[in-house]
Amino acid sequence: MSSPTGADPRPEIHRTADGDWVVAGRRCRACAEPVAYAWPRCPACGAEVEVAHFGPRGTVWSSTVVRIAVPGHTPPYALAYVDLDDGPRVLAHVAGDEPAPIGGAAWLIGASDDGDLQVEVAR
Amino acid sequence: MTVAVAGVGTSHFGRQPDRDLVGLAWDAVSEAFADAGVDAVDAVWVGTVFAPAGVAQRVLRAMGITGIPVLTVENACASGTTAFVEAHEAVRTGRYGRVLALGLEQMSTAFAGAITPETTDPEGRAGLAMPAMYAMSAARYLHTGAATPEQLAAVSVKNHAHAVHNPRAQYSGRYTVDEVLASRMIADPLTLLQCCPTSDGAAAAVLTAADGAAGEVVVRGAALRSGAPWNHRSPHVWGHDIVADTTRDALADAGLDAVTDVDVVEVHDAFTIGEIVTTEALGLVPPGDGGKAAAGGVTALGGAHPVNPSGGLLSRGHPLGATGLAQLAEITWQLRGQCGARQVEGARLGLVETMGGGVSVLDGNACVVTVLEAR
Ligand SMILES: [Zn+2]
Repeated sequence: MSSPTGADPRPEIHRTADGDWVVAGRRCRACAEPVAYAWPRCPACGAEVEVAHFGPRGTVWSSTVVRIAVPGHTPPYALAYVDLDDGPRVLAHVAGDEPAPIGGAAWLIGASDDGDLQVEVAR
Repeated sequence: MTVAVAGVGTSHFGRQPDRDLVGLAWDAVSEAFADAGVDAVDAVWVGTVFAPAGVAQRVLRAMGITGIPVLTVENACASGTTAFVEAHEAVRTGRYGRVLALGLEQMSTAFAGAITPETTDPEGRAGLAMPAMYAMSAARYLHTGAATPEQLAAVSVKNHAHAVHNPRAQYSGRYTVDEVLASRMIADPLTLLQCCPTSDGAAAAVLTAADGAAGEVVVRGAALRSGAPWNHRSPHVWGHDIVADTTRDALADAGLDAVTDVDVVEVHDAFTIGEIVTTEALGLVPPGDGGKAAAGGVTALGGAHPVNPSGGLLSRGHPLGATGLAQLAEITWQLRGQCGARQVEGARLGLVETMGGGVSVLDGNACVVTVLEAR
């Protein structure tokens, strides 16, 4: 339907001086909720937030491989929900066409050519 | 004031790209009006997700419904049930005397295949199609041992078998678990027969003040919620807690102690894992028993807690905005004893649950739970 125009809603990522990739998100000043997005208020409690960086390491909560046509992406492609250490649950792409092992380690390795958050996983 | 479901109706559900929404809506509204014995209403709530702007007035003027309040609501898969609960509230509070709730959707002309993910949403932009969202839950259930692939498939087998007795359903058939698992993989571990089809359709209900007639179907309770954040702190898979919380609200509104008092249930089974998670979230079965219940016949016609006698979204089809009102039509017919070979014998209390929407970070866009009762 809609083609991807306008601001990119996906998480913003940075490379630290150490060479690690991190998500530049926000943390709630009241309830400590971590969010992968630069939103003005905490989605859990509505309180003020401050800039926070999350990653690069995390754990795979679940994973799948999309095998149907989705505009802007070429199937098959593997996706994982990754719980970043002390951070939010983020959706990331995984190289290959196998699901990532659930419960296994994952770490951010930047963005894919399509601009999607990408992780490498322990297999 | 107690509110009655005075009449219900639906179009046929299926791929109907050569029909238009005017015709589909007329099929549903004319049947609901005839069922209620009325030819006019005081206001209309319309639920739809992808229909073009102005669709409500466009279809209603074709049937002579003009010059009255018309409101269009969107709540993802719960749009039809949202229209219903708002129409119900309008009658209950005396704002209007007789209200039409109408749900409609034409998916076959809007999408080539599955719903295109919304690119202004972060996870939609990243390619998280709805089957993949549910696949994440299914994969998690398989990983923790809360369900097996065969139990997932059992939901599809059951609902397709139920639909054999529903002439309005898009698909039906006697499949085996092996056939379901062998169908084309869509998003691991969900196969084609575990995913709802692309459907067009409309469904409607007329709501009025109850008059106390014997057998009258009334709204016993209703609740609507939008999702709270779903994240690394959530103890359950996506979409569980919003259903559990909304169900608690609806049961309290209905004055029921336990959901197991309900005789028949229609739930949002857009994907097999959805029905398993929902039966657990509703409290129909203990936590972790959803898959076992489907495979063991507990949720089949003739079982202790029949779920989706219509065939559910998996078989009746899932024209988003129409789904909730089709679920309500099925429960209304069940409570009147009009369902023939798919009738739940002696059903007096029925429940409808609809949950949907993939807005990132939320546990679903919306959930609506309604309890109907035959007086
Ligand atoms: Zn907060």
